[in-house]
Amino acid sequence: MKAMEFNSGKIPVWCPGCGNFAIWNAIKGALADLEISGKDVVNISGIGCSGKMLNHLRTYGFHTLHGRTLPVATGVKLSNHKLTVVVNGGDGDGYGMGVGHFIHAIRRNLDVTYLVHDNHIYGLTTGQASPTTDKGLKSKSTPHGVIDEPLNPLAVALNAGATFVARGYSGEVEHLKELIKAGINYKGFAYIDILQPCVTFGKTYSYEYYDERIYKLDESYDFTNFDNAMKKIWEKEKIALGIIYKKERDEYASLHPQLKDDILLNSTGKLRDISDELARFK
Amino acid sequence: MSVITWKIGGPAGFGIMSAGPMFAMALKRSGYSVHGYPEYPSIIRGGYNNYHVTFSDKPVFSVYNRCDILVALDKVVFDSETITKNMIVIADFDNIKGTEDLECKKVNIPFKKILKDNELPDIVKNSIALGVSAKILGIDEEILFKLFEENYPAKVLDMNISAAKIGMEFCLDEMKFKAPKGNSNFKDNLLMTGNEAIALGAVKAGLGFYSTYPMTPASSILHYLAKLEEKYGIIVKHTEDEISGIIMAIGASYAGVRAMTGTSGGGLSLMTEGVGLAAITETPLVIALSQRPGPATGMPTWTEQADLKFVLNISQDEFVKIVLTPGDLNELFYMTFEAFNLADRYQVPVFVLTDKFLSESHFCEAIFNDNGLKIDRGFIFEGNSEAPMEFFPRYKEVENGIPMKSNPGTPGGLYKAPGNEHDDFGFVATDSKTRIKNQERRFKKEEFIKKELPLPKLYGPKDAEITFVCWGSTKQPLMEALKHNDKFNFLHFSAINPIDWKQVKNMFKDKNLVAIETNFTGQLASVIAEKTGIVIKDKYLKYDGRPFFVEEIIEYVKRGN
Ligand SMILES: Cc1ncc(C[n+]2csc(CCOP(=O)(O)OP(=O)(O)O)c2C)c(N)n1
Ligand code: SF4
Repeated sequence: MKAMEFNSGKIPVWCPGCGNFAIWNAIKGALADLEISGKDVVNISGIGCSGKMLNHLRTYGFHTLHGRTLPVATGVKLSNHKLTVVVNGGDGDGYGMGVGHFIHAIRRNLDVTYLVHDNHIYGLTTGQASPTTDKGLKSKSTPHGVIDEPLNPLAVALNAGATFVARGYSGEVEHLKELIKAGINYKGFAYIDILQPCVTFGKTYSYEYYDERIYKLDESYDFTNFDNAMKKIWEKEKIALGIIYKKERDEYASLHPQLKDDILLNSTGKLRDISDELARFK
Repeated sequence: MSVITWKIGGPAGFGIMSAGPMFAMALKRSGYSVHGYPEYPSIIRGGYNNYHVTFSDKPVFSVYNRCDILVALDKVVFDSETITKNMIVIADFDNIKGTEDLECKKVNIPFKKILKDNELPDIVKNSIALGVSAKILGIDEEILFKLFEENYPAKVLDMNISAAKIGMEFCLDEMKFKAPKGNSNFKDNLLMTGNEAIALGAVKAGLGFYSTYPMTPASSILHYLAKLEEKYGIIVKHTEDEISGIIMAIGASYAGVRAMTGTSGGGLSLMTEGVGLAAITETPLVIALSQRPGPATGMPTWTEQADLKFVLNISQDEFVKIVLTPGDLNELFYMTFEAFNLADRYQVPVFVLTDKFLSESHFCEAIFNDNGLKIDRGFIFEGNSEAPMEFFPRYKEVENGIPMKSNPGTPGGLYKAPGNEHDDFGFVATDSKTRIKNQERRFKKEEFIKKELPLPKLYGPKDAEITFVCWGSTKQPLMEALKHNDKFNFLHFSAINPIDWKQVKNMFKDKNLVAIETNFTGQLASVIAEKTGIVIKDKYLKYDGRPFFVEEIIEYVKRGN
């Protein structure tokens, strides 16, 4: 399928200039480049402007509750591990509501690609502070300025044992597309935090703001070095884009002997013989 | 008819919960019908544990207050139990102060001395007690030792057998208890807990995915299924919390796999949003709910039936849900099996309600067979390879309000499953026409489900002075009480929603109704009032964390209400 063929035919309702358009294009491009058919893809979306991604892709899709993307993804992937599962959620969705699931999905190393549309704000509910909003920033829910320290989600991921940690940016679509491709190809939990300007409510984190600060990691960067990665993640003035940390690790489904020969879907819903189990109760 | 009760008690950590069920099984294999009821606090060491076995040469269903033979492994038993004249009490009386004046029949077993003289560790005290009990009741020692073999690891087996043998030697002829002889009537019966029946019903139905977070008294479903997962090719997950537990199961079911979750009330509170998600996405889901007393954490290891209205009204807005309230092992097994068919056929959440009493007690009336068991996976789209990338009208009515499912990966079956209101293809829709169409279509299913769910069933003499109205596990003590009294009968609801209330109303005609429930307000009675307009004034309610004891029911009937 060509990238264009992944359009669902529904016109996005994101604000003009919203960073979500670029993420949409990057996903379509990545699937097209990898020659994956939309019928073998499940897009699982959370709630928020980010979650609306679901409507715009010609793939299967599940639009779950706020913060609950990763448990759905786990159920889907273990039931049919041949499917490609792409998860889209926001920073409120994934780092607020869903932060527990995030850490546990990392522990499991489930083979999905997790894209967090990180606009440092709640878009859909019209501009409250999110877990990644900087200290001091005024928002609808923090008119006197945020007094909580912001969460560094990449550091959380690294410390939780994530083995594919990357950062992309809506202003760099081609680069983002390559990251998503690498994520889909990665056998395990591929986590990509995407800097996504919200042009309506997140004015501080604008394209200009990012354009001044971002730089791309080049070939000289060793993404297998954990300490390097930690340093990159805590940089203050500059923001690194690319795969920040990557390591091989057993993927979750492969650790289930039940899934060795076939997908779970093919054995379910059939009458089973339980007579030898019953015999123990006699 | 003689019913005998045997009870073993001691502090938690003394092996009561292994000795009790083992002895129940020894009795079953000796030809008795058996019921076993455990009581224990929510702590690992200390506190009072006991396991109460009721047995007879005729079917037994439930627990009595009365105890004929009491095995007291420690002093704590005397603080908690009422000792009466007719009781045989087995204890180390030499070492327990304050028991000198007790009028019971004492069987003095010097546990402390036996352990010391034979250099045995404290943990085999329960095996000594089982040896004594077997001897007193005339149980073949081979039956007991075979059970030890099945239950103990090889390295401690001999130690336990010799402990039991020593116990047997201490038992003199005059200590024997006249029990009716066991017969072969119960040879094929299964002795198991309600949770085991639920788990096996699910396995039989081709369960593929079970995910939840441990919560008593539902945890043993998780434990048992986890043990079976590799044998039957099931995935069983102990998730990070109940929210994840239910949502993962929904993900699995969306992908086409038969999925279930199970919990108690506190866990269901967290799962509530997931129930709504299953409902609006029309994802089939079975939820086993084992009730216990109390909002919040309540009384974790005790019993109550107080979550009925919670389940009937669960989640915001209105949607169709099926609520099954089985009352015995057979109903638990076959209804759990059928719950998967109903979930698949109607694409709605299906609840199987149980409670601590039914979930964790041992019952022995079931056999379980394959006769007539059929799998129905409902409408599933086969695919269209001509147009593999077409969107599919997943939410369009096919029949009786039910749409057709399409599993991800199916060519031409593309759709979106959203928690939002949506159009036929699953795209978010908020126009009034679509909303009305969807609500009406989804609720249409109710009429058809109604025809499939069982109506309440009458047990006991056709005409009686009192007709108890009950649901779920209360069937058990009522069945047992029927053996002693013919002045009452009872109507048992094994399903509550959606059922044909018009017909139920007819069943109530000319009856002196008494609602009998283990909750404070009489929840079934209030559902009946809402659905039929019939107000049941007399209620016999219990809410102390214990099931109804058989004597209490007989007493109530005798008193006249
Ligand atoms: C349980 C629950 N609580 C609150 C909401 C309301 N809500 C919808 S979107 C959202 C925040 C979304 O923020 P974010 O995840 O950052 O996504 P964005 O809209 O910025 O893409 C909230 C709080 C909800 N849908 N569900
Ligand atoms: S509110 Fe922000 S995130 Fe939402 S669509 Fe508009 S620009 Fe995008």
